[in-house]
Amino acid sequence: MLELQRNVVFGQFVDTGSVIHRMDPRIKLAAMFVMLVASFLIDSFLGFAVALLLVVLIQVSSLIPLGYVLRGSAFFLGFLLFVLLFQVLFYPGEVPESGYLWRWGILSISTEGLRSAGILGLRVIFLYYVTTMLMLTTSLVDLTNGLELIFGPLQRLRVPVNELVLVFVIAIKFVPIFIEEVERLARAQTARGVPFDEGGAFTRARRLGRLLVPIFISGFHRADLLSIAMHTRCYRGGRYRTKFRQMSARPSDWAILALVVVWMLAAWQV
Amino acid sequence: MTPDSDAPIIELRGFRYTYLEGTPRANEAIRDVSFEIRRGERVAIVGPTRSGKSTVVDSFAHLLRLKRGQVFYEGEDVGAPGYDRGMLRRKIGMVFQRPDSQLIEDVVGADVAFGPTAAGIGAEETRRRVEESLNSLGLPYPEFRLRYVHALSGGQRRRVAIAGVIAMRTPVLVLDEPMAGLDPRGRRELLGLLRRLADDRDLTLVVCSASLGDASLLCDRVVVLDEGRVVMDGPLREVLREADALAALDVTLPEPVNGALELRKLFPDLPADLLTEEELEAELLKRLDVA
Repeated sequence: MLELQRNVVFGQFVDTGSVIHRMDPRIKLAAMFVMLVASFLIDSFLGFAVALLLVVLIQVSSLIPLGYVLRGSAFFLGFLLFVLLFQVLFYPGEVPESGYLWRWGILSISTEGLRSAGILGLRVIFLYYVTTMLMLTTSLVDLTNGLELIFGPLQRLRVPVNELVLVFVIAIKFVPIFIEEVERLARAQTARGVPFDEGGAFTRARRLGRLLVPIFISGFHRADLLSIAMHTRCYRGGRYRTKFRQMSARPSDWAILALVVVWMLAAWQV
Repeated sequence: MTPDSDAPIIELRGFRYTYLEGTPRANEAIRDVSFEIRRGERVAIVGPTRSGKSTVVDSFAHLLRLKRGQVFYEGEDVGAPGYDRGMLRRKIGMVFQRPDSQLIEDVVGADVAFGPTAAGIGAEETRRRVEESLNSLGLPYPEFRLRYVHALSGGQRRRVAIAGVIAMRTPVLVLDEPMAGLDPRGRRELLGLLRRLADDRDLTLVVCSASLGDASLLCDRVVVLDEGRVVMDGPLREVLREADALAALDVTLPEPVNGALELRKLFPDLPADLLTEEELEAELLKRLDVA
């Protein structure tokens, strides 16, 4: 059986009530931004090792089981590996003659290619891991409010911050809903004689194509319903909205942010 | 292995199921369910929402990863390695809660033909079955054959879904909340059609519902689920005698039973196993005569 929900972790929110969950979402977003910048500056294996260690620490203190996150990322990691393979084989950079380990026409494996693919891979894994942790530990409401408050000042420049944030957050949160939908469809179609649980990888992938039309239809339907629901509750974006829960960053939150900044600087400089 | 003809057509033994097992969002849907369904029986699986009705019926056609407990079809363990699941799904027709999820093709005729074609049945025979299935569900073949599925009403889509399953000529028909979202007239019509189908084709019928009102008109045996366990199992009238317990489980009762429960304020000895208004009336008259 198709069990995507068990195996895709992206976009999920798992409330364990940990320290990380209770942090001010603005601080979490700021910390993520720092890590995002750091991921582009860090350019060594050791640096990424240090940086990833911090995310592992965040994972441990979030009380979300490591096995769950790993299994939920297996598909993504497989895909990444596939892409990196091309990065190695078609490495476009300058390679001294001694750097080649294997060569066949335009395909080659070189130490430079391996290094560049390795760094690229770590960078993507780091980014993916950080965003996954942010989403696992931050609820939809917190994420929206945090983003709005951070980018709020742009509203003065007539940037539709509220609308943009809303669209972004809804897009992310639709991922698990779509996954659930795909599972439901696959189960119903299996019952009608499309065996999703049999055949080779290629046949299975082609069968998934059959789900596209119904998924699109239900997706548009869902989006329609959501907009109607928002209209009937008189949703208005931006400065007209007041907040029931006021956010407040505690000193410990700031301390964690400072720790992240220092840690990332260290990872950059090693 | 030849199917054992004495064996029940479907049997669950110690079936348990947990959704999203091994994740922080794990949800234990079925704790321990065992029962058997005999050929030709008409069974209602009744219980409040989240009691595990849909999970139980999904297990019949092996639509879940079966881990703990066993599911048998005609005496054969469907979870055994090498068991032909494709064949199993040609024997158990499933109509899901939301018909949209099981409609595969865009056009009504093509969709009803999907199952027979996938099962390798010839074009002529398939066409005949499509015509017959659509007609028997009150969707005249010439009129509906080329209609777009997504342009139909909810009730019509549900009938197309049922036609698609009927065209497979499955000996077992499983309906998950077949009456949900229908207006009273659509409900009456569909009930009539289903009863006729079950009679004509000698089907083994399984109906999931949160309402015993609908199920009581189709079925003669009731299995009541609550929190993933079987709490009652027996002939319809016997189960209805426990009307108070059913009401406590938040199962919607048939109208005459509700009436009887209310009238117990006047006649404390009024029975609850009443299927029709006539039976209720007769019981009331009996008591009024005495008075």
